[in-house]
Amino acid sequence: MEAEPDGLWAYCVARDDAALAEGGPGVHPGDELTWLRDGGLALLVSRVPLAEFGEEPLRRNLNDFAWLERVARAHEAAIAAAFQAAPVVPLRLATIFAGEDGARRMLEERREALAGALDLLAGREEWSVKLLIDRELGSAPAPEEATAEVGSGTDYLMRRREERRRRAEADDRAAGLAEDVHAHVQEVAVAARVLPAQNRELSGLEGDMVLNGAYLVERDRAADLRALVAALEEREQGHGARIALAGPFPPYSFVPEAA
Amino acid sequence: MSAIAEREVALVDLLDRLLGGGVVIAGEITLAVADVDLVHVSLRALVSSVETARPK
Repeated sequence: MEAEPDGLWAYCVARDDAALAEGGPGVHPGDELTWLRDGGLALLVSRVPLAEFGEEPLRRNLNDFAWLERVARAHEAAIAAAFQAAPVVPLRLATIFAGEDGARRMLEERREALAGALDLLAGREEWSVKLLIDRELGSAPAPEEATAEVGSGTDYLMRRREERRRRAEADDRAAGLAEDVHAHVQEVAVAARVLPAQNRELSGLEGDMVLNGAYLVERDRAADLRALVAALEEREQGHGARIALAGPFPPYSFVPEAA
Repeated sequence: MSAIAEREVALVDLLDRLLGGGVVIAGEITLAVADVDLVHVSLRALVSSVETARPK
């Protein structure tokens, strides 16, 4: 029986003279990570069977939650390991070449842009700062419930108006706090991006996400970032606001457009 | 929160980064066409399928 054709799944680019992490599992079990070197750059790849990773099966598999999770975690683990050893430019999930020639051609065509991106990202890492607000705690206490057995229509309208006013105030306060936290974190970062907030069901985090920020931070300023977030959190303690700091990650969100 | 929920939480965060960042080698949903041996699929839309995959 003829062997199934393989493709090459690509993870990230590094300089080929950098300290490159060797080996490790790829997204397809049994196919190890390897560096493809070309013209001063190195592309981290592993073989993938096209029966599973070709156009049609890939489309199907990416919508299989368990498959997607396994592949996404393997992709991330490979890049994280490379990133620990050397600066890398991560590639978007599911970048698959039909063969080595295509992968080399990509490196040739993008050599300058990729080298520029590596220079830009060297020594820097991505951090996530999320601001979560508990609206009930964060706003003024609710006025006493009307004790009248049957509220008049006027009472009802006044309560509705009051409720709207309090909600608007809470929204304003949340937006102001998000801006403030973002501005403070930006001071220790070399670049920042505000990402769409994740909804509560997806994130599983308590409270409304009013800031989902990604920050590119010099590695030697990570301690400053931690201290800043701790100080901001202490300041907001008791006001129903919580800050979730996560990282460091390879700089996924800060790949320059030219790359 | 159950261990399963925590695992899924982290996955959402991960997909956010993996699908929203990184170098995009080809255009959106450019698949191997004839002699173009470059395959790239952009999966942004999947974040919405994550939503439907999770019980409400």
